Amino acid sequence: MSKRARPTSSAVAMNSKPLRSRAQPIAVYALLILGVVIVIVPLMWAGAASFTPNHKVFEYAYPFSWRALFPVDFTLEAYDNLFDRGFGRAVSNTFFLAIATVIIGGAVNALAGFAFGRFEFRGKNALFLTIVMLTFMVPVDLTAIPRYILVNSFGWINTWQGLLVPGLANSLVIFLFRQFFAEIPQELIDAARVDGATWLRVLVSIILPISKPVLVAAALLMFISQWNAFFWPLLIAPTKEMRVVQVEISLAIGQYGTVWNELLAGSMIAAIVPILLVIPFQRYYVQAITGTGLE
Amino acid sequence: MMRARQQIIPYLFLLPALLLLIVFNLMPTIATLFESMFVISLRSGERVFAGFANYNRIFNDPIFWKSFQVTVVFSLLVNPIQIALALGLAVLINQRAPGIGIFRSIYLLPIAVSLNVTAIVWGLMLDQNSGMVNGILLQLGIPRQPFLHSVDQALWSIILIASWIGVPLWSLFILAGLQNIPPPVLEAAKIDGASAWQSFTKITLPLLRRVLAFVLVADTVANFLMFAPILLLTSGGPRLSTNLIMYETYRRGFLYGDLGASAAMLSVMLVIVFLIVGIELYALRGRD
Repeated sequence: MSKRARPTSSAVAMNSKPLRSRAQPIAVYALLILGVVIVIVPLMWAGAASFTPNHKVFEYAYPFSWRALFPVDFTLEAYDNLFDRGFGRAVSNTFFLAIATVIIGGAVNALAGFAFGRFEFRGKNALFLTIVMLTFMVPVDLTAIPRYILVNSFGWINTWQGLLVPGLANSLVIFLFRQFFAEIPQELIDAARVDGATWLRVLVSIILPISKPVLVAAALLMFISQWNAFFWPLLIAPTKEMRVVQVEISLAIGQYGTVWNELLAGSMIAAIVPILLVIPFQRYYVQAITGTGLE
Repeated sequence: MMRARQQIIPYLFLLPALLLLIVFNLMPTIATLFESMFVISLRSGERVFAGFANYNRIFNDPIFWKSFQVTVVFSLLVNPIQIALALGLAVLINQRAPGIGIFRSIYLLPIAVSLNVTAIVWGLMLDQNSGMVNGILLQLGIPRQPFLHSVDQALWSIILIASWIGVPLWSLFILAGLQNIPPPVLEAAKIDGASAWQSFTKITLPLLRRVLAFVLVADTVANFLMFAPILLLTSGGPRLSTNLIMYETYRRGFLYGDLGASAAMLSVMLVIVFLIVGIELYALRGRD
């Protein structure tokens, strides 16, 4: 009788409002499509233009024709030139940095989330409020100068340590782990503890295997925010060998600002990686970004 | 003995994360306030205590006040625009309509793309000579617009670029809020004869209060720090019309090497961020 009982309808669909009249769906779809046009057209043009000879990048954009959205004069020239200039180095740098952040940062933040989510200890609330919440509230870009001076005093300018270490601990990710771990049934943990497992063993072999949603969410969040990071890498690692993708494309504007197809090819590579990660895992990603805002 | 060991374990688990947060986040926050009281001596290159001299300098500097004013105007425009559009988009993608899942996926794309890429692509789309936006205007018989090259249009262009990411991003939070509203509440209103608009303003919006308050604060803080599009597209111009305060701190600190003035500006910004967040916490205290 109730629609809720149907296993196929997702939680999302259940809470959606049904459409009322005939006119409403048309208006809804018209607005939805308008939004899609605004989202898609810049990406399609940029993608198409990155596969176009440089002198034709604006050919169909002004005056506008539909050809602007498709690579009608297809060439790999921009990508070839871009990689000849060493763009591959920036791509591999960024992959390495993002993966290292996910692995090391994931471990650091999961341990902290485990402690906050599953233990009672003296000073727990105070530590959470003064350190995790406070650092969550202060945007990292605002404190970049002293961080720069500090990292400089370590001799970490233009090094992997300088790029990686300051971003490993992430209060948002600690938050996500804490919330998830706190809801795991106590019996699972008790059973393992009776068998004499250490707490680290409980975390690694009992909790982590059943924590896929939060692991995927946290990994996506850390990977994408590191992949898209700009301000800190710009300050700390501007030399050619250490540049990440976002810095490389941004400096390209000044250096060879009229080679538009290469600029767009670099931008497309910078955009496609997070897009390919978000699309298959969108449920986890949405939970990761909205998870903390609602409490 | 066992108990004592048990007690150490959570602290050990916390140690790496908290140490990193203290060294790289908490200390720099406090140090920003300290750093604002030092200047680098031109003669010796050493850092010298300067009291409030940096603050005196920036508060007597018309460029700082101009960038402050631009930032206030930008905030007063971009935040209401983004939140209103995000609310509309959230209501739209909350409809139960065939294919809505595909639309939701497409609206996620801008959120995955970095602000730099967005700025580069939109910067070329808005090119005053041959950008696509002018190409479309031409087809509509509207004359070419200067966009980023005009004192009147540059800030609006930045608002557009920021909103391409901001609107879909904040709509996700509002959508999550909408889906937390129990359907019986809205059904009851419908049975009582409330119009769609009435149930939206009288029931939905009040129930979204917490989410909207969070979005307002988070959006305000994010836009307050808007930086990449300015660096990449306008360098604060034309005639300082897009010289947002975050860019001004970068210009002073890292382009002109005046870290003292930069830190003083960042300290002013820190205080403002704390005020914004503090007002939210105060407004939401204890209720629900």
